[in-house]
Parts: sequence; structure tokens; C-alpha cells
Amino acid sequence: MKVLPTICPACENRLKVKSLTCQQCQTEIQGQYELPALSKLSVDDQDFVLEFIKASGSLKEMARLLRLSYPTVRNRLDEIIEQLKLAEKANEDIGKENG
Amino acid sequence: MTSTNSQLGQWLFNPFRFIAGGHALLLGLGILLASGVIGWLGKTHFDGVIDVHSGLEAPLWCFLVEGLINWICMAVPLFFFGLIVSSSSFRIIDVLGTQALARWPYLITALVMLPDANRRFSEYIMSKLTPAAQTPAISYADLAIFAFALMVAVFMAVWMVALMYRAYCLSCNIKGTKAIITFILSLIGAEVLSRFAIIRLIT
Repeated sequence: MKVLPTICPACENRLKVKSLTCQQCQTEIQGQYELPALSKLSVDDQDFVLEFIKASGSLKEMARLLRLSYPTVRNRLDEIIEQLKLAEKANEDIGKENG
Repeated sequence: MTSTNSQLGQWLFNPFRFIAGGHALLLGLGILLASGVIGWLGKTHFDGVIDVHSGLEAPLWCFLVEGLINWICMAVPLFFFGLIVSSSSFRIIDVLGTQALARWPYLITALVMLPDANRRFSEYIMSKLTPAAQTPAISYADLAIFAFALMVAVFMAVWMVALMYRAYCLSCNIKGTKAIITFILSLIGAEVLSRFAIIRLIT
């Protein structure tokens, strides 16, 4: 499966969604849409979040599944939370700039 | 092969990535007790967080308690610094467990200090420092064994401090300058406190 690009290969800015297409009737909608916050994470981090949800949000279960210690898993989750907070802040700043 | 080497490297230099909490605590306490028993057999005292001294006879419980004092004196200040400095929530059992496990290099130190040659050489040095004392006879083999044990002990002390630092960073989720400064302060404080507590214990 292709990986959704989120960063511009030319200037390294965040990409936005410009068009969405219905595969059934070929209707196409064009505009400027923000990517969801989770899509701004790396593929590894997205996988981690998915596994974490599937493990009912249990860090102990995640540690068992990944064969890592509890604090290692907790620290990784903290890093992801920090990235999401930064992404949200960046979105808010862009929103303010655009009025 | 590279992956196996990398896994081995992780286990040697950062085992806390894989083991922490209750498991690390049990394993660490086992290592502390084993180091105490081997220390008792070889009359090797761990009379301070990073100290190793040879020669003084004492009952077994003294050697066992020394290990526990060293561990607690280091883990408790690190836990409190973690509470102040870390922005993450963390568990005390991870701090206690990883700090206990981080002391495993001193099990090797206790083993290399077992031969009698180390004590003979220590007594020889002490007799040279006190003019009135009678100088015991030592051989070149004693000197070689002592030199080897000394090198291993220094290497293991460095390794143990590195492990204690990694354990602290991981269990409290602290990085960078804050981690270095608070760790050094804890180490100095723990060294003073543990020396004082162990001297009181022995005397």
C-alpha cells in the first residue's frame, strides 16, 4: 500500500488535501482540507497508536506485545502525544494567520 | 547478524528497554544479594554507591545490608528529582527496579575480587603506608591478580554508573542537561549518604 505523503518534497512544508473523489460516481470535490492530526505522525507511530487502541489503551499489554519494558512504551507514547500537541499548535497558528 | 549484535548491545548497555518494574526489581535484588554473599566470601565491601574495598572481616548481614543501602541511597534521590524535573508520570517501581538491576556489574567485581591475592596485596599496601606495621610477603602473581582485579573493578564502576544514568533517564523519562545535572547531584548525595550509613553500620 502506498504511504500518504504529508510533507512537500520540494520545500518540506506540510501538505494539504486539494481534491477528494468518489470512486463510484466519479464526483470530485476540490478545496483546501487539513490532513487529520494522526496522519502527520510517522507510519511507525501511526501503527503504535493503532495497536495501543486495539490493546484497550493498556500500556502493560502494549509492553507485552512489543516485548519492551513498561517505561519504554510509556515514553514512546509521551513522544507521540508531544508530536500531536505540536501539530495541533501548528494548525492553530496557521488558522490564526489565515484569519 | 547485525540485528543480533544490536540486540546484544541493547541488553548490555540499556537492558531497561526490555526489562523494568517488578521483574527488574526481583532480578536486581537477587544480584544485590549474590554480590553481598560473594563479597562476604572474598571480604570485599561495597561500602558506598560506587566504592569497593577489600580486607575487613564482617558478618554476612553487613555485606548484604551494604548492597541494599547503596541501592536505596541512589534510587530515592533519583525518584524525587524525577518528580521535580520530569513532565511525564512514572512509577516508583520502575525507578527502584532499574536502579537495582543497574548494579549488576558489581557482581563481576565481587567475583574478580575473590582470590586471596587481592587481600594480600591490599595488606602489603597498607603496611607500606603505616611504617610500624610488618610488611607481608607478596609474589608477582599476587601483583598480577591485583592489577587485573583493579582494572576490572574500575571498568565495572564506569559501566555501573552508565547503567544507573540510563535507568534514570528511561524510568523517569528525562533527557539532556536536566538529566545530567540531577543525576550528578543524586550520585554525589548518595555517595556521601551511603558512606556515612555504612560506616555507622560497621562501627
